[in-house]
Amino acid sequence: MLTRMARLPRSFLFPFALAALLIALAACAPAATPTPSTVTLTFYYPVAVPGPITQLIDGYITKFQQQNPSIKVNAVLSGGYGDTLTKIQTTIKGGGTPPDVAVLLSTDLYSLVDSNAVLPLDDNVKAAGGDSFLNDFYPAFLANSRYQGHIWSLPFQRSTPVLFYNKDLFKAAGLDPSKGPANFQEMVDAAKKLTKGDGSTWGLEISSDGIPYWLFQSFVIGNGTNVVGAGANKVTFDAPPTVQALQGFADLSTKYKVMPPGILQWANMPNDFVNGKAAMIWHSSGSLANILKQAKFDVGVSYTVGEKGYGAPTGGGNMYILKGIPADHQAAAWKFIQFMSSTDVQADWSTNTGYIAARQSAYTTQAMKDYIAKVPQAAVAPAGLKYAGAELATHNNAQIQKILGDAVQAVLTGKAAPADALKGAQQQADQVLAAFKD
Amino acid sequence: MNETTKPGRSPRPSRFRLKSIFNALGLIVLAVIAIGWAIPMIWAMAVSAHPPDEPLSATNLWFGSRPTLENYATAFQIAPFAQYYLNTIIIVGGILVVQLITISLAGYAFARFEFRGQNVLFFLILLQLMVPASALIVPNYSTIRQLRLFDTLVAVMLPFFGSAFGTFLMRQTFKIIPRDLDDAAKMDGANWLQTLWHVYLPPARPAMTAFALSSISFHWNDFLWPLVVTNSTHSRPLTVGLAVFTQLGEIGAQWPLVTAGTVIVVGPLLLLFLIFQRQFIESFLHSGLK
Repeated sequence: MLTRMARLPRSFLFPFALAALLIALAACAPAATPTPSTVTLTFYYPVAVPGPITQLIDGYITKFQQQNPSIKVNAVLSGGYGDTLTKIQTTIKGGGTPPDVAVLLSTDLYSLVDSNAVLPLDDNVKAAGGDSFLNDFYPAFLANSRYQGHIWSLPFQRSTPVLFYNKDLFKAAGLDPSKGPANFQEMVDAAKKLTKGDGSTWGLEISSDGIPYWLFQSFVIGNGTNVVGAGANKVTFDAPPTVQALQGFADLSTKYKVMPPGILQWANMPNDFVNGKAAMIWHSSGSLANILKQAKFDVGVSYTVGEKGYGAPTGGGNMYILKGIPADHQAAAWKFIQFMSSTDVQADWSTNTGYIAARQSAYTTQAMKDYIAKVPQAAVAPAGLKYAGAELATHNNAQIQKILGDAVQAVLTGKAAPADALKGAQQQADQVLAAFKD
Repeated sequence: MNETTKPGRSPRPSRFRLKSIFNALGLIVLAVIAIGWAIPMIWAMAVSAHPPDEPLSATNLWFGSRPTLENYATAFQIAPFAQYYLNTIIIVGGILVVQLITISLAGYAFARFEFRGQNVLFFLILLQLMVPASALIVPNYSTIRQLRLFDTLVAVMLPFFGSAFGTFLMRQTFKIIPRDLDDAAKMDGANWLQTLWHVYLPPARPAMTAFALSSISFHWNDFLWPLVVTNSTHSRPLTVGLAVFTQLGEIGAQWPLVTAGTVIVVGPLLLLFLIFQRQFIESFLHSGLK
């Protein structure tokens, strides 16, 4: 039977062939070939604070390359922390070569080791002086660097929650503006005096969105314990001090009425604080510069608290060396992360970004002393690291953090009682972690 | 009107009044919706001129005490937006040009030719509509790596040179065109390419405009794929530059800076839409797309 339809003519393929040719031509862009003696490292870094981060990083790299003429570093901005991890995982799964060095969350440790993505740094650390090398880092910042007897990362951009308070409002309420509350009870008492019944000023605002588990950990660590122990396969969500901590968090708005009810947005806290809507907030130490820039009153910085006193988790990113890179790259990568975590770089990085310098010696440098003379509040967070505990980190980290965060939010929105919510969270977490031996 | 119609007898005046009331109500509803959609954009523009050292608050939610371009200066200082602009335009334009060629050819083939495996092939193409682009990142990356295209503009564009949606749209559009026109062109001695060009493409312009708009806005905003396959400034689009402002999880949003970055990124797209507004709306009406 004859069809009215024409057969597909051969010339039909011509445009496709042309397109393919164009692509092939475009692909032949010249690639720079470094001289054989130089090693070119790729360094992925995420951005989590404002400021000219790329310029700062480029500046450090220029300095590093001057000191190490045989090493070139190609710094790649890789979005946020989550994007950076996605980019690296895609590269590994797709059979490509990962970057040599990457800044990832310190809490990504177990997931990275589980997926066989990172190299242990023991030999390098030993060659650099072993414990005497490590001892200069704040111990709290190394809490999520060790696993299975190895050390896997060095701290780079670290922070911790602190309590910001409005000294002017403290004075007006008859409170001592020279110090913040020393424990949960003191914080509640102060907040009661600071809260105005008409809702114009709240005594306290603590965010519970975004990463709700993080600030909640402050309550738990301030209760003298933590939600995670030594093993990366076990959490203590339903332990009595954790339940008590969550009860306290919820009581702030329901029982004491010193905090607005419901879920408070992380991004709005600094705004509410500088506008005088909240007399005290808990926020990242990294917010200090921004708060000082906008506040028209005297800003006090103190520590987050639980029933027994000060307590806070750490936060932020560490530098990892990735697996699957050539041996000469490994040596160069170690030199690079040693440089980036060095006293001078950490001091400069801290004064420019608001991160806490990872090394104690950074606070003895002239640059840092000058900075602290100008901004005395910047000295508070590092001094409080002795009260800090490890940030929640386990296998399948993201999932476990979400389980705890969901439980916290369920209680704060009145959907569940603390004991029930945390019992459920513990069961879910146990299921997720059952597959892991340590 | 009062002279020609007798009140109470003819229904015309009341129906007329009712109609105009409905019209007015409709306009009010539309205006409310339009304002609702416009507010985020208007607010973003206002706040991008907000002094960075003045906090946003319920009483100071817009320009602040003195409108300033400081945020734009900071934004341009933080990210190389000029290069990013160029890259985005090349990426979006390149994808669109190749897409228009491939979808009109493929759509034409599926609409008017008969070949072995036609239905299977078309089914496979339709199946792609169900696969989210993010699920293909790893295999796509793998292909780019093997082609040695990593960190090039072509790598960002390549996975989108074909479009299942566009092929489907063009096929449906071409199918409506009377075959007699095709036959007449053939009789006049036109080959298939000439037929496509002179007979099929002119009436398909609204569909192509509609497709172009959805393609441009998708690729202008795409973030994850370009981030994964590029490493350097010379191959990265605007959205990656915007990430420097939006990923500030640690300290909370710097709204004046974020909005300035956003206005820089979406500004040209907005301008493009305002200029070609009429054509876009007409094309959407014709093609039945939303």
